[in-house]
Amino acid sequence: MIREKHMPSLKKAGGKFLQRQESSIIIVTLLYVVFVSCVNPVFISSSNLFNILKNTGYSLITVVGMSLVLITGGLDLSVGSVLALGGIITGLACKAGLPVWLAILLAILTGVIVGLVNGLVIVKAGIPPLIVTLGTQYICRGLVSVITQGVPIYPLPDSLKAIDKIRVAGIPMVVIFAFLMVAIGYFLLGRTPFGRSIYALGGNEEAARISGINIHRTRVLVYVITSVLAVLSGVFITSRLGSAEAAAGSGFEMTVICGAVIGGVSSFGGVGSILGAAIGAFFMEVLTNSLTLMRVSVYWQNVVVGIVLILAVMLDQYKRRVMVKKSIKAVK
Amino acid sequence: MDAKNIVLSMNHITKRFLGTVALKDVSVELYEGEILSIVGENGAGKSTLMKILSGIYPGSEYEGSIYVDGKKAVFSCPADSENAGIAMIYQELNLELDLTVTENILLGRLPVNKFGSIDWRKARGMAQEVLQQLHVQIDIDVTARSLSPSMQQLVCIARALIRNPRILILDEPTSVLTERETEELLTILDGLRMKGIPCIYISHKLDEVFRISNRIVVLRDGAYIRSFRREDGFDAEKIIEDMIGRRLVAMYPTIHKEIGPEIMRVEHFRVPHSFAPGKSIIEDVSFSLRKGEVLGLVGLVGSGRSELLNAMFGAVPKTAGTLYLDGQIAAINNPRDAKRSGLGLITEDRKKNGLVSAMSVKHNMTLTILQQIKRGLFLDFKKEDELSGRYFDALSIKAPGMDVQVASLSGGNQQKVILAKWLCTNLRVILMDEPTRGIDVGTKAEIYKLILELAAQGISIIMVSSEMPELLGVCDRFVVLSKGRVYKEFLRGEVGEVELIRAASNT
Repeated sequence: MIREKHMPSLKKAGGKFLQRQESSIIIVTLLYVVFVSCVNPVFISSSNLFNILKNTGYSLITVVGMSLVLITGGLDLSVGSVLALGGIITGLACKAGLPVWLAILLAILTGVIVGLVNGLVIVKAGIPPLIVTLGTQYICRGLVSVITQGVPIYPLPDSLKAIDKIRVAGIPMVVIFAFLMVAIGYFLLGRTPFGRSIYALGGNEEAARISGINIHRTRVLVYVITSVLAVLSGVFITSRLGSAEAAAGSGFEMTVICGAVIGGVSSFGGVGSILGAAIGAFFMEVLTNSLTLMRVSVYWQNVVVGIVLILAVMLDQYKRRVMVKKSIKAVK
Repeated sequence: MDAKNIVLSMNHITKRFLGTVALKDVSVELYEGEILSIVGENGAGKSTLMKILSGIYPGSEYEGSIYVDGKKAVFSCPADSENAGIAMIYQELNLELDLTVTENILLGRLPVNKFGSIDWRKARGMAQEVLQQLHVQIDIDVTARSLSPSMQQLVCIARALIRNPRILILDEPTSVLTERETEELLTILDGLRMKGIPCIYISHKLDEVFRISNRIVVLRDGAYIRSFRREDGFDAEKIIEDMIGRRLVAMYPTIHKEIGPEIMRVEHFRVPHSFAPGKSIIEDVSFSLRKGEVLGLVGLVGSGRSELLNAMFGAVPKTAGTLYLDGQIAAINNPRDAKRSGLGLITEDRKKNGLVSAMSVKHNMTLTILQQIKRGLFLDFKKEDELSGRYFDALSIKAPGMDVQVASLSGGNQQKVILAKWLCTNLRVILMDEPTRGIDVGTKAEIYKLILELAAQGISIIMVSSEMPELLGVCDRFVVLSKGRVYKEFLRGEVGEVELIRAASNT
C-alpha cells in the first residue's frame, strides 16, 4: 500500500493502462504502424489512412456481432455468405423498383431468418456452432448462386449507390454507422442484463443456467444480431461497388473472426470487449493495406493472415494460463 | 478356515501428499480364498491405498513394500500392477462404448494370426469362454453401448478375468446395479473366490459388505484401525464406531428459531439415473419442509441425494412428481421457474456450475437478479453496488474488493458469494448440496452460523452432506434416502451418528 502511494502517477496510469484488456492490441497496432511507416512513408499519408479507416468500416459492422458470438463461446462462419445474400436481396429489390429503405428492410429480415436458423439449430439440436454455421454458409452461398446464376446484379439505382457516398463532416457514412454499432455494442455488452448474460454464458454455461439466466434466448439472439449486421455490411459493400456480386464476402468470416480475436475476444468464450475487437478490426485492415503497399502478393497475404490468427489465439491461451496461475497463487 | 497362504501383503505403507499424510503405516494382508472388504469414510485412505496397488502412484512415491505371492513387487505404472496379476474394476465403467463386447474384453490383447491381422475366430472364442466362466449370457457381437449397466459391469469383470489375474479389486461395483443384479454379482464373486481368485471389495454399502466379506478392514484418517472376521460375527455398531472414531465435537452455534407451518411438499418424485439409461436413481420420494426448518437429506454416495435436489430445482428433468409451495402446485421445469418460485440452489461443485470464474465477485452475486437491477434498458450500477455490497458485508466475505475475480477467493468465500447470489432473490427455500465441501474449518463454522441465521429469518433449508456430524449439528430433521426411497425420518435429538449411518446403509 505504502509503496503504491509513492509511485509516480505517470507510472501508475501506465500500469492501469496495461491492465486493461485492450492494451496489448493497442500497443501491437501502434508498433506495427510505426514499423510500416518507416518502411514505406506512403502508409501514413492522410489519404491512405482515410482509406484504411473507410475499409475498416465494412468489416467492423460485423465484428461487433461476431464478438458477441465469440464471447458466448460460439462461432459464426456464415457471415460472408450472409453478406452476399444481403447485398443480392437489396440489389434485386431495388431493381424491382422498391424504395431503398424497403429493400434494406427485406435484406435485414433475411438476416434475421438466417440468424434464427443458426441459433435455433445450435440450441435445440445441440450441434456445434462450427458445423451449423458452416452448413448455413454453404446454404446461403448456394442460394446466392441460384438467384444470380453467377451474373452480378447491375446496374443499381443511384439511390442505393448514394448510401456509400454520403459524408458527414467529411466522414464516410459507413464509418459513422460502424462507430454507431460499436457504441451500441459497447453499451449492450457492458451495461445491459443481456450483455451480462453473454459473458456468463461464455464463462460458465451451467452456472448461468442454474442462476436462472435464459441461456437459449441469449444464444439465439447473438446469432440473429450477427446475421443482421452481416447483411448491413453487405448493403454498404453493394452500395460501394454499384453492383451486387455473387462472390462478395468470400473470406469475410476470416477477416471478422481475426479482428475480434486479435482484439482480445477469447475464442474460448467469456472474455473480450467491443473496443478491443474494434481495434482488432482496424489492425486487420492496417495489415492487409500495408502488405499491399509493401508489394506482398495477395496470395501471400492470406498466409500472413492465417499465421496472425493462430498467433492471436496462442497469446489468448497463454494469457489464460497466467490468469489461472495468478488465481491459484492468490488462494494460497 | 484353517492356515491360509498370504496372496498379497502391503507392509507399512505410508503415503504423503504435500503437507498431509494420506496413509499412515498401513499394513493389510489378503489371504487365499477370501473376500476382504475395506471400509472407511470419505478421506479414510481407501482410494489412496487402491491407487498404490494399481500402480497409479509409482513405487518411489510412498514408503513401505508390497509382496504378491511372497515376491516383492514394485510398480512404476499401472501396467506393472496388471502384469503382477492385480486386476482393478473401477466404479465408472471404463468401456469403449462403440466397440463390441469381444473387442472390449480383449482390448489391447486381441490375438493375431500369422499375417498379423486380428484372428477374430480365436478372439470370439476367448470372449465366449470367459463369459461362460461367469455364467452369463451376453451376445459378444453387440456394442457395449447397447448393454445395460449391469451387463457392462460384467464385461468389465470379464476383461479383468481374461488377463488371468491373481487378485481382483472392485471399487464400488454396485453403484449402478439394482438389488437383484447386486445379488448376482456377489454370487459371481463368491464363485471366483472358490476358484482361487481372492478379492478386495470396496463399498460404502455396509449391507453388501457384511453379506459377502470373509474379513473387514476398517481405515480411518489414513490409519489401519481394526479388522473383523466373519467367524466372530460382524457387529455393525462396532464397525461404524471404528469408522467414525471418537471425534472432537465441533462447535455448532445455537440460535433460537421458530419452525413455522409447512411451506413446501415434495410428492412422488422419480428421477432418472444420470449415466444408466432407463433406470431411476430416485424411485418414489415424498417429504415436506416447514418454514424456517433445516432439513438434512441423508444417504450414501449414489443414493440420489444430489439428483433429487437438482430435479426439485428443475436443473435436471424428473420423470414424475409434484412440488407444492404453500399448498399450491409449483410447476418447476427449469431453474428460471425455480428462481421465480423462491428456490435457490447451491450446487455440489462450485467450479463446474456454481461460479463464473472469469467474472468478478460482484457480477457473480448479481447473476440471478439481472432483470431486477435494471433501469430502463440498462443495468443500474448503483443499485448493483448497493445490493452486492450489502451481502458482501453481511456475509463478511474476505476479498480485496468486489471487483476482483471470484476465482482468486478461497473456497469458503466463493461459497459465500454463491449464497449471496441467492439471497439477492426473493429466497424462500434454499437447497444446499455439500455446502462445506473443500472449505477450511474456520469458514465452515461461519457457514453453519449463516445457515442457522437464515433459518431464523424464516428461510427453509434442505441440506445434503456426506459429513454426518455437520448434519447432526445444524439440522432439525433428517430424511434418510435408500434405494431411491425415503427409508426413515428422524427428528433432531432422537438420533446419533451411528444410527444415521446405519439407516443410510440399510443395516
